Amino acid sequence: MKKKIQITLNGKKTDLEVPSHRLLLDLLRDEIGLTGTKEGCGTGDCGACTVLLNGKAVNSCLIFSGELDGADIVTIEGLKIGPELHPVQRAFVQDGGVQCGYCTSGMLMMSKALLDENPDPSEEDIRFAISGNLCRCTGYAKIVKAVQDAGRELRARR
Amino acid sequence: MENLTVVGKPVTRIDADEKVTGEAVYGYDLVLPNMLYGKVLFSSNAHAKIKRIDTEKAKRHPGVVAVVTGKDAPWIHGESIRDKPFLAQDKVRYIGEPVAAVAAVDEDTAEAAVRLIEVEYEDLPVYTSPEDAARPDAVAIHENFASYRKMAFITPGAGPNVSEHFKLRTGDVEQGFREADIVLEERYTVPIIQHAAIEPHSAHAQVDPASGRVTIWVANDAPFRALHEISEALDMPKENIRFINPLQGGGFGSKGGLKLEPIAVALAYQTNGRPVRVKFNREETFISTLTRHGAIVQVKTGVKKSGAITARAMTIYWNGGAYAEKSPTVCIRGSLPAPGPYRIPNVKVDGYAVYTNLPVAGSYRGYGIPQGAWAVEQHTDELARRVGMDPLAFRLQNVFVEGDVAYWGEELHSVGLKETLQKAAEAIEWGKTVDALPGSRVKGLKIGKGLACIQKPTRSPTTSSAGVIVNAKGDVSVLAGTVEIGQGCNTILSQIAAEELKMPMEKVRTAPLDTDVIPYDASTTSSRSTYHMGNAVKGAAIDAREKLAALAAPMLEGKKEELAFADGKIFLKHHPEMSLTVAEVVRRKLGAEGTVRGEASYTYQLAKDLDLETGHSDNASAFYMYATQAAIVAVDEETGRARLLKMSAAHDVGKAINPLNCAAQIEGGLAMGIGSALHEHLVIDQNGKVRNPSFLDYHLVTALDLPEMIPIIVECPEPQGPYGAKGLGEPGLAPTPAAIGNAVADAIGARVYDLPLSPERIFWVIQQKKKGKAA
Repeated sequence: MKKKIQITLNGKKTDLEVPSHRLLLDLLRDEIGLTGTKEGCGTGDCGACTVLLNGKAVNSCLIFSGELDGADIVTIEGLKIGPELHPVQRAFVQDGGVQCGYCTSGMLMMSKALLDENPDPSEEDIRFAISGNLCRCTGYAKIVKAVQDAGRELRARR
Repeated sequence: MENLTVVGKPVTRIDADEKVTGEAVYGYDLVLPNMLYGKVLFSSNAHAKIKRIDTEKAKRHPGVVAVVTGKDAPWIHGESIRDKPFLAQDKVRYIGEPVAAVAAVDEDTAEAAVRLIEVEYEDLPVYTSPEDAARPDAVAIHENFASYRKMAFITPGAGPNVSEHFKLRTGDVEQGFREADIVLEERYTVPIIQHAAIEPHSAHAQVDPASGRVTIWVANDAPFRALHEISEALDMPKENIRFINPLQGGGFGSKGGLKLEPIAVALAYQTNGRPVRVKFNREETFISTLTRHGAIVQVKTGVKKSGAITARAMTIYWNGGAYAEKSPTVCIRGSLPAPGPYRIPNVKVDGYAVYTNLPVAGSYRGYGIPQGAWAVEQHTDELARRVGMDPLAFRLQNVFVEGDVAYWGEELHSVGLKETLQKAAEAIEWGKTVDALPGSRVKGLKIGKGLACIQKPTRSPTTSSAGVIVNAKGDVSVLAGTVEIGQGCNTILSQIAAEELKMPMEKVRTAPLDTDVIPYDASTTSSRSTYHMGNAVKGAAIDAREKLAALAAPMLEGKKEELAFADGKIFLKHHPEMSLTVAEVVRRKLGAEGTVRGEASYTYQLAKDLDLETGHSDNASAFYMYATQAAIVAVDEETGRARLLKMSAAHDVGKAINPLNCAAQIEGGLAMGIGSALHEHLVIDQNGKVRNPSFLDYHLVTALDLPEMIPIIVECPEPQGPYGAKGLGEPGLAPTPAAIGNAVADAIGARVYDLPLSPERIFWVIQQKKKGKAA
């Protein structure tokens, strides 16, 4: 059954008519064409599909579209600040936090959610926050450093 | 060495921006116009005859465009042994084997139609253990094995399921054992694990009805080899096949060979020109793509009280799964150096690659080295203990050094192994006892240290070719068939082109990979790319530079030899003010749309092929990588849980083209190795069914599971490598489990012989030790 919903997607009001059971991940990738949000497992175990839903990081593969009327959603495509990379994006580039890049979108959205809530996280806080985001390439060390550096940059801007 | 401007610098990745913005398009993201959606019916039985397949209901299902079975796709492929049908023919050999496939207008429809296909099986005996399957009286998993087409080096074993029996024979091991003061025999096992790249597998295919041309879009790590394999299977000229590589979200060996490609091609032949996408979800990726060989490794060594090794005999069973894939070459290249990087006068190795009724095993970061290292590196510690030597000192006394002749007959050069041992050990304060965990309130923790080292060959002989194009804006395009699988090759190869042309990095880009236009490359495997493709790109850039110099010489009123390159400019050495930008030179001579193209090819030749009776070779590998890992662990004796406190990894890379990227590779390899040491195990029951095909049940390391990691770069230059470089992709993983195993043994005073080092396993070894039974 199709349902009419209105969401704010990366800052823009968007009207959609979607089957209620369509998962947010599939809605983004297949219907809207935003493939920056990745599918790694489809069962909420890997975090590659992490997006911000009303400011909180969620696995978009576990959210039904029917629940989304009025929701504010930010995906990796909405992370830039104007034409500029968000500090957390820039830190991932500078510190070598990216390899194959497939987990990167989810990792960045989770990191942003953490830094929004706690701009001065300890290493343990960061490791805990991203422990649901699997990365097979990096060994996480450079990602942790990137989140620390991004936090420092964001604090300096305040 | 000359003054390097870009090579050797920690340049950030050239592909990072598109990856942090979500703009990068991976194979799994790719949508083609008018595309159909493929779904697969997998075998539910591990070894069975197919009595009947009924696809009628599926064909009639609304929205279905094509349904195919083995009858519709009568093709067989295989890299070294042609044994694998596109879809099962007459029988199935593992649970998860593709039996039939559907193409439909959307994924839901395809999935519904797959459920309407009926298959009737008649079960046959199921083999899960390679030792059982290798017996001469075993039932043949491939009845027609003898008639399969095989590469020349394949040496099948005595039993019907042994696809390869590798033999190494040096000296007289029995005599060596007689000369020894101590002879130790042990048996180690390595379980089946999976690559688990975060991007699952997918492939798209299209067959043009008019020309018959086949196009395949797939994130394959060896598109030219895959093209060759498809061309052989379809008996079609290579020019009628095209591979286009979208970005790959990690591979680690899983995305080479043919996996989903044959299914997509079989469907595409039935859709009247419409492209078909076949995607595996995570569970399907676990059961039906590729695994790492489980292995049983028996090792027997004679040692003198002085610490000299007199003889080593090994038997290794490689659990190859249902099809040969890369099993024969994993068996050969994993068994040959399995005795370890040690001076041993008498060596005998028998490696058996064995068919079983399990998912197909193949290449996996390290290509057979991790399995041997798990056994031999722990065995080495046991030998040291028995002769009363420190494990580091024992290794330093016995490891290969410059000029040694290895037990397979090759004289070794550029051997940085000792330095890796010393540096890795130093980083964890080897020899200094750690009594307690600082700040820990937990009682009963036992702390231990351990290390392990490896030598890794690379696939040889192979060829890489490259092109470098400079346009009239001064942009440089690198044409290379190396696949960006996350390892950073596009950055490394761009650095090399930038270095030779003295262009700024931001002017250099790598071209997309399309076999119609990109020059040949053997594969992105075996840590071979920096060396082989690095040499090819370097040569192509030098060729372009020579051509640019020839164009610039008359413009600058000088001779070619009098010119130099710097900062994107060409100038006269003795009159540096006389200069032109590279862009101007191209534009003036060739116009605004002009280009200068350089080309080069690099091949590492073997003087002589491997001797199939003795396993001997004068030069088995273009170069060797050397690495040592060292670990500190804390074991909780109450629970058996081993927690890593610190790991160091010292790698001889020859020359670090990009130190940032080298550290990233080492850390990533370490993390993967730690996962395989402590958690990972694809659990398969006696019926051949995978019991944990999800990330919930198959435990990859998370950010919380890892200790402090110390990557250390050692540079012992390889004269033939670009700027002295060797390779680095694989060794980060290989010695890691053994280093941790040695640390655990040091902590609890008893050895664990089987991976993974789970709390339960360690707990029982501690209990056995208390009863006085363990080693």
